[in-house]
Amino acid sequence: MRPRSRRKGAPRLRVVGRSEILPPPIQAQARRDLDVDIDFELIDGIEGLQRTVTRPDSFDVYHQWHTIDLIWTARAVQAIELERITHGAEIKAMASAGSGRALATVFDKLFLQKDGRLGRTPSNRISMLPSIHGVDAFGYLRPIRDTLGPQPESWSWLLDPRWHGRAAITAHPVLGIIEAALAVEAAEGIVFGDIGNLSIEEIDHVADLLIRKKKIGHFKGTWINYEDAARLMQRGGVVVQSMLWPALTRLKSLGLPACIATPREGSRGWHADLCISAAAAGDVLEAAYAYLNWWHGGWPGACLARQGYYATFPDRVRHHLAPEEWAYWYEGRPAETPLCDPFGQPCIAPGETREGGAHMERMSTVRVWNTFMDEHTYLVRRWKEFIDG
Amino acid sequence: MATNRPYYEVIRDLLAANIDSGRLPAGTRLITAAVADRLGVSRPPVKRALARLEQEGRLRHSRETGYVVGAGRDVEPIRLNLHALDLDLSGPLSPPSPQATWERIFETVESDILNCMPFGTYQISEAGLGDHFSVSRTVIRDVLSRMQDRALISKDRSSHWIAGPLSARMLDDAHAVRRLLEPSALASALPHLDAGLLAQMRERVRQALDNRTAVSQPTIDVLETDLHILCLEPVRNRRLADAARLAQLSLVVNRLFGTYIGVHDESEMLMEHRLVLDHLILRDGAGTETALRYHLDADHQRARARLKVLSVFSAPEIAPYLIRVH
Repeated sequence: MRPRSRRKGAPRLRVVGRSEILPPPIQAQARRDLDVDIDFELIDGIEGLQRTVTRPDSFDVYHQWHTIDLIWTARAVQAIELERITHGAEIKAMASAGSGRALATVFDKLFLQKDGRLGRTPSNRISMLPSIHGVDAFGYLRPIRDTLGPQPESWSWLLDPRWHGRAAITAHPVLGIIEAALAVEAAEGIVFGDIGNLSIEEIDHVADLLIRKKKIGHFKGTWINYEDAARLMQRGGVVVQSMLWPALTRLKSLGLPACIATPREGSRGWHADLCISAAAAGDVLEAAYAYLNWWHGGWPGACLARQGYYATFPDRVRHHLAPEEWAYWYEGRPAETPLCDPFGQPCIAPGETREGGAHMERMSTVRVWNTFMDEHTYLVRRWKEFIDG
Repeated sequence: MATNRPYYEVIRDLLAANIDSGRLPAGTRLITAAVADRLGVSRPPVKRALARLEQEGRLRHSRETGYVVGAGRDVEPIRLNLHALDLDLSGPLSPPSPQATWERIFETVESDILNCMPFGTYQISEAGLGDHFSVSRTVIRDVLSRMQDRALISKDRSSHWIAGPLSARMLDDAHAVRRLLEPSALASALPHLDAGLLAQMRERVRQALDNRTAVSQPTIDVLETDLHILCLEPVRNRRLADAARLAQLSLVVNRLFGTYIGVHDESEMLMEHRLVLDHLILRDGAGTETALRYHLDADHQRARARLKVLSVFSAPEIAPYLIRVH
């Protein structure tokens, strides 16, 4: 849908992000709230990152997702002036206290240091504006519990031969290698040195196993975005797989008995943030700051809370959520009424309690954060071998 | 080196001239092995040159007799001792180059392979290499075994030659060697470096720094060549100089990064180069070593970060003798 036209000469803002982070309701609300024409471009594959690093002039705002190392190295984004961010002071304060400690990874490469590098010592310029975070694990259909009995949830289920031909994994190398490594550790009773920074031998170990499993038909498929993930479980016969929260709320709204595990081995944490293109200037730069401040106002965070995402500043999100939504999504208390997903579809039935509990309780289960490992270049080629195999 | 043209074309020209002048009489059978022996070259380029001459109509080919000089069928094929013929072998083929054949192509092969390694895993076809450079299997094996010695390629379980993927560990390993060798190599070159040359290099860095947001990749290539190749040329100990050059993997990553990302801020690298050149100009050997080691360490960190950026791209143009595996 083309937005209504703004005043003459109003800037156009080009925003690039993933489909999970920019669902249509957020796009529509941004166009209503801001005096800017906005072109949203949803890119779920690697093409988004390729575009960002090679052509900063082709976008103005980028919703980054564990790619800050790369886009900063390529100088595709510019430093954000905290004084132009409405709640900028809160970011500095958070870096060294309270929930900022649980989210240390968000702050590790946030502040621009005197030597031009990124670090955690607060300064007045940041590489990205933290917006949302969350914790992911694999999902499964509750009936498989009948076979498994009361044992605690474990990443080893992803590789369990009992789900031969009915398992799936994300095709995304950054997420996939971490989940596969967690599964290999659990299934084989081994321990990798640093699961967030695997060595070449460890990558080979995981990749060899995945390729072998794929060849014998263990995996029903792989997926790129949450909609594909939901389809695999809805119609593809998959019973256990990598899962993103929007896929879960989609499946629940369709009435499937799906859930996301809280594995005993810990979970995979992630954060998504806002970056401004190195090429943005003048009116467009003004518009970019307005868009960033809009994101920090709470409305988008509340919309995404309804698919299980947490905002960096939950207090401002709370004003935009009904008390029972806040209680379910952030506090881990049972739903008192039916709750809807971001699209307004009922997905949570009264009496249900969110897996894993309250916000900080769930974030404390993070064992490893999404990251581009040192050996990512090596990893991604082995991963391609698995995906193409 | 005599020529940059494919070797088979040189041979084709030579044979064509001898046919046209009658030194190779009509009806002469040209057996690949015999021609290669007469010219003192390997067989593959001869084979290709003969095929080309047949297309042009200077030779005809039949299963029974092989290649025969002349297009007409009326001439009876004769087998002559090519060594007994008075051929004109002047031109690019003679006198024989003192440089071994493998050396002629080594740098090209090395650069072809290094430029694709960050983008995946490649199989190297020995036959493809031979055809591409018109050299024999023996030469190809010389080249490849030398590349294996330098840990750039290896053999997989089915005995295929494999290059890549380039890992952070390979960069780390190369850097560990480089920081030991290159500073002392540069210090040993110092007494032989021309003051005027150093002043020119220093001036090029200054100009690039004045223009820091718009330094093109060709300019960066010149600056890197100045410090890391030209300054090492006077090193008397060639083993040291060669070993230092081989450890310069980060130059490859930095150049590919520049090629993909385009113009980017290189002011840190420029300031580091300036510092090393200042020490060289002052003839301060110890300072040169310290400044260069600092530069190499900083450059290594940049190359590591840039290698990650390269991971999001897929294959660039690859040489025809490389086959992408993953």
